[in-house]
Amino acid sequence: MNRIVRSLIVVALLGLVLTLALAFRRDPHDIRTGTVGKPAPAFAAARLDGTGDLSLGQYAGKVVVLNFFASWCEPCTQENPALVRVYERYRGTDVVMIGVNYQETRDNGLGYVHRMGIGWPTIADDDGRIALSYGVFGPPETFFIRPDGVIAGRHIGPIDETTLITGIETIRPAARQ
Amino acid sequence: MRTRVVLFAAVLAVVAAVAFAARPHEPTADERVDRITAELRCPVCQGLSVKDSGSETARQMRDLVAQRVQQGRTDAEIEAEFRGAYGDWILLSPPFASWSGIVWLVPIAAIAAGLALAFARVRKRERTDGRAPTPGELAALRARVAQEEAAEG
Repeated sequence: MNRIVRSLIVVALLGLVLTLALAFRRDPHDIRTGTVGKPAPAFAAARLDGTGDLSLGQYAGKVVVLNFFASWCEPCTQENPALVRVYERYRGTDVVMIGVNYQETRDNGLGYVHRMGIGWPTIADDDGRIALSYGVFGPPETFFIRPDGVIAGRHIGPIDETTLITGIETIRPAARQ
Repeated sequence: MRTRVVLFAAVLAVVAAVAFAARPHEPTADERVDRITAELRCPVCQGLSVKDSGSETARQMRDLVAQRVQQGRTDAEIEAEFRGAYGDWILLSPPFASWSGIVWLVPIAAIAAGLALAFARVRKRERTDGRAPTPGELAALRARVAQEEAAEG
């Protein structure tokens, strides 16, 4: 009996150590719950600049970088220079960036877009439906959508240039050929 | 006599009212929204349900649940939509049949293991208490008694 009990305690401790080791190895910015690996939820929403609607479907076949942002979000301001540089790098290619303005009035959102030099299309998520369908916790969050419309990755928190480029290049068909 | 009748009628009325209130009935749309949002975790709060939170995100989630109820979706379908986006984490009570269900299973397993251990200990003690002492144990006991008697004089 004692041997069995000792073995059970050892197995339980090993299980605990293994669980903790796996948990600590995970990058908290890369939460793989919910939508990652699944088709990106479709959406159509009004552009912040008032030039009509934008839908995800119109970018089928392209790599889409979907960034949730807000002017009241300090980390969004921090990550913006990296987004601008990456946008300029891939401008006119098979990579598109879309900004989704999160829980904000359109005037404030548009003011931020102009102030921060955001040249990529931005849309208003007035009722929060886009954010809820993607399982967003709060801005900034960035999703990498493959040309076949499947979400390949998600980054929670401010993103840097290297992470952006790596995320894009790993799902770009040109890079995989 | 009249007082008893009045008392009896009052008790009867209370029982009838309680029975009427507790009768099984089809929940209204608002009741369903309350029930579903009480089970959903507010993503931007600390341990609060969507129903109890005053945050903007919770308000948007309540609106979405209300819309889905109006569209005729079942509770399970609505919960599945949120689980699809946020994972099982979004449910305040983790579902039993999933990895999160381990939080239900571990305490039960721990209690069962504890009971089994205690039972095994008791059985072992009973077995030890019931058997006849070995000649060696008898000799040791006799020697101890003799020693104690000698010490007492």
